[in-house]
Amino acid sequence: MTLLSVSGLRKSYGGAVGLRDASLELSAGETHALIGENGAGKSTLIRILAGAVMPDAGEVRIDGKHAAPRSPSEAHRRGLRFIHQELNVVRGLSAAENIFLGRPYPRRLGLVDWRKLNARARSALERLEVRHISPSTIMARLSVGDRMLVKIAAAFLEDDDAPARIFVMDEPTAALTGEESERLFQILAALRRRRCGIIYVSHRLDEVLSIADRISVLRDGETRATLEAKEATKSKLIELMTGRAVAEIAGAAASPMADRIALSVQGLSGGGLRDVSFELRQGEILGFTGLADAGQERLTSALVSSGRSARLALYGAPTRLRGPADAWARGIALAPRERRTQGLLLALDIASNVALPHLGRLNRLRLFVNRHAERARAAKVGHRVRLKSTGPLQKVGKLSGGNQQKVMFARAVAGNPRVLLLDEPTRGVDVGAKFDIYAFLRELAADGAGIVVVSSDHEEILHLCSRVVVMREGRVSAAASTKSLAPQSLLALCYGEATD
Amino acid sequence: MPLLLRRYGTAIGFLAVIVFFWFKLPDTFLTSRNLLNISQQMSMLAVVSATMTVVMAMGDFDLSVGSMASLAGIVAALVFVAGGSSWIALPVALAVGIAGGLLNGFLVAYVGILPFIATLGALTVFSGLAFWLSGGKTIFGSAIPASFGGFARGGLALGPTGVTIPNLTLVALGALLLTWIFLEQTIHGRRLYAIGGNAEAARLAGVRIKPLRLAAFGLSGLGAASAGLMLASRVASANPTQGAGLMLDAIAAVFLGTTMSDEGQPRVVLTLVGVMMLGALGNGLTQMNVDSYVREMITGSIIIAAVAASSLGRAREG
Repeated sequence: MTLLSVSGLRKSYGGAVGLRDASLELSAGETHALIGENGAGKSTLIRILAGAVMPDAGEVRIDGKHAAPRSPSEAHRRGLRFIHQELNVVRGLSAAENIFLGRPYPRRLGLVDWRKLNARARSALERLEVRHISPSTIMARLSVGDRMLVKIAAAFLEDDDAPARIFVMDEPTAALTGEESERLFQILAALRRRRCGIIYVSHRLDEVLSIADRISVLRDGETRATLEAKEATKSKLIELMTGRAVAEIAGAAASPMADRIALSVQGLSGGGLRDVSFELRQGEILGFTGLADAGQERLTSALVSSGRSARLALYGAPTRLRGPADAWARGIALAPRERRTQGLLLALDIASNVALPHLGRLNRLRLFVNRHAERARAAKVGHRVRLKSTGPLQKVGKLSGGNQQKVMFARAVAGNPRVLLLDEPTRGVDVGAKFDIYAFLRELAADGAGIVVVSSDHEEILHLCSRVVVMREGRVSAAASTKSLAPQSLLALCYGEATD
Repeated sequence: MPLLLRRYGTAIGFLAVIVFFWFKLPDTFLTSRNLLNISQQMSMLAVVSATMTVVMAMGDFDLSVGSMASLAGIVAALVFVAGGSSWIALPVALAVGIAGGLLNGFLVAYVGILPFIATLGALTVFSGLAFWLSGGKTIFGSAIPASFGGFARGGLALGPTGVTIPNLTLVALGALLLTWIFLEQTIHGRRLYAIGGNAEAARLAGVRIKPLRLAAFGLSGLGAASAGLMLASRVASANPTQGAGLMLDAIAAVFLGTTMSDEGQPRVVLTLVGVMMLGALGNGLTQMNVDSYVREMITGSIIIAAVAASSLGRAREG
């Protein structure tokens, strides 16, 4: 039985084409993955299904009824549920209130029935087997992964008037750890057994290949192919997405690691970390991973603000860092995890974003702005990170996610750093940009920089890093070479199990 | 059309105001004498608005500027009464302005109080201090040196044209120029705009936010105190409510300016347009004998209309 079918869908925004000819079919009990590079039209398609925008042309059929939803509440009534990639949470409200956002609160005598609100939110969370989050906890106190779980739980809120039939998930695992993702996949399997349909958007191809029944590939606003997951391979999908043959990237290049220690950290504690010590060699890409809240998420911020609480040595010289400004001044570049909220100034142009940490050097008479030098530097490093833009004066907000991420790297390397601290360097980035970033990081390491990569993407860790440090409960629980490390072994290390 | 309205709506409105008064007051409005008069009337507001632009570029506010202007005037007048000369009175009053501004900056940047609350508290404290120091009375008379009052009445004669640029206008132009250089041409100004764009991103990109915020509020205090001295000079006296109207007008001028800027950022040049717009409105309506309460209603409505047009345009652009 077909739950949803879309054909010949077209939508343009002003002059820009979002969708040209998109089609998609979802059967009951199916997980249908939707993949494509950033800008391929996935978000537009989702927005149409959600009733946020109306298509210019084409047909949308949901449960037999021919018409695209005209509003988000109509989409909800017709049984659609959405889990968006962006974490749009209200930090000041409780988890339960976030789950009920945009839905009528349960009432008693005209007033909010808080007990019932919390009870229903708790049952939504429990359907995800999430028991460690209390519905009355204020959102701001939860970790990023937990906030995502709350957002996901909102889609599982029972609604007797409009039972959920179709779940649309846009990168639901982007902020989740391996453990949390596994839990989500179990839920998806249960939904499938109940004959619900799932549209699953993700950049993580391994994930897509393992959970989807069928895979549709969007490119330039068109559905290029729909194939059975069983018949698909990663390279085939990449080829369809990018339109060019991509050889499977070889494992981590044997980087010419020097014996010289770029950064040594002894006894870093505080902010949830306990006595973390490690050594980063020159030319090395060192990975940090772990389960949710194991400490790796806080590593870079704790490190750059460690002050007296840790013994740091940079190329042998004892150093103290009292904040990000100190780090940049000593040649340690940062690329924070959330590029939109922690990284970029979206309203400003590329040159300003790249130059910001380096204004102390890119200036005239140590006081006046030197726009010429800023632009020249931005153009140079932009080229180096393979940034696609109309030039250094393009507004960063107008770039795709992958290119925004490249602006972050351009900023990081613009000062010729000796050490880079990168937090989730490829989150929400499409495959093409991801490979660009990997190639560029290897180049950088080969040139002698030491690079720390914090990532919850194990594939990325194994692929990119020469060694990995596994965190557990705020401590370093294991360190291993990635050379012959199997994905299962890495996961086992995260869970703290001994491997042979 | 919506884009046009958003980008140039305020500018078109400004021109419409000018044309309207030109039409209604053909003999008196667009004369060099009246324009110079407006420039002098607006000079205090221009100075406060310029330094307010610095604070608002970071995304903060300074509500205490009006009462600081009053306080600075009182401080200068008291130094005069005590027998001090302008060489002592002016630096002391400006130092009080900087100190008050730095206090605001300290509360906001280092203690972590919201600017709205911190400067609202400071507004009350400065105002109370001005009343207390002056005993609630206007300080005037022979204690105020003639040269101090004379400064505001004087000007720079432009050769044989017969046009004299008032000294206060020159001071305002100087303040605007310095603020423009600071915000647009120095790396510190760039960092301020970065803080206003996204404070957390700026911090992680190595911008030392606290000292910059401290300095920006210090500048705002200095601007407010300068305006207070200009006000006192203009009437050769000081009273504890002299600067009261400055704060709301300054914030309005900056907001009017932001409706014309690319991404809604405060810019000194555009703030100046906002100041001129408020000045032209006030002057024209007064000349037409419009009641001062009605004048306030019209001015308020125009500010709301300008900001509304701009936000609607922005929303449509999506």
